[in-house]
Amino acid sequence: MNAVVPSQVELRIPRSCEFVRIARKTARALAHQLDFIITDAADIELAIGEACTNAVEHVGGNCPEIVVRFSSDAEQLVMEVIDQGQGFDPGRVPDPEVADEDSIGGLGLLVIRALMDELDITCNPDVGGTCVRMVKYRTKQ
Amino acid sequence: MLTLTGEVDVSNTPQVREAGLKLLADGAKKLVVDLSATDYMDSAGLGTLVGLLKRLKEAGGAMAIAGPQPRVNRLFQITGLNQIFAIYEDVGTAVKEVGA
Repeated sequence: MNAVVPSQVELRIPRSCEFVRIARKTARALAHQLDFIITDAADIELAIGEACTNAVEHVGGNCPEIVVRFSSDAEQLVMEVIDQGQGFDPGRVPDPEVADEDSIGGLGLLVIRALMDELDITCNPDVGGTCVRMVKYRTKQ
Repeated sequence: MLTLTGEVDVSNTPQVREAGLKLLADGAKKLVVDLSATDYMDSAGLGTLVGLLKRLKEAGGAMAIAGPQPRVNRLFQITGLNQIFAIYEDVGTAVKEVGA
């Protein structure tokens, strides 16, 4: 019997480094189930890991958990990493074309931008909360 | 030699940093980091390696990366850190080149 792949999956994980691995392993498993090629599945795992790490490490405020949402259709996998922390101004995040030893802090978003087909960051520093939305298109095998 | 096996991510980079700093504290000036058995690394892992490199350079030392798997090697390329680290295909070459 073929496994039924859900079109939507939602995880709620504690905002802690130890739980980032759960999010990325879920992402990788889902990508495999959705028949993404191996390298794309690895990219999806890494991007989710980086987005969750940013939420854990760099988002201040009282935010006990992170929500990770996956939704898929025939063309793409959409991933959202949502926290209710203080939020930040994405315009102030360093976006080095080439990282150096002094710009290490911007590496997570640099990696996501390189691996994903779309990246949108929505945040409101006034009321808090950030949503990092990433899209990976399906590549025909 | 610092050998990292399995997955290096935000959850265990403190241990990696601690192990590297211990080698430096013990007097190592030339360090080879063996990544041949590292299946996964994220930017937190890269940041830890950058920190060790900076400390070594400040002490007049040198560091080399050995044997990264394609997936990890790609991360060095994406971030441009392949321009900062000396990366070699295997441990033997890295040891020879860096003089560790």
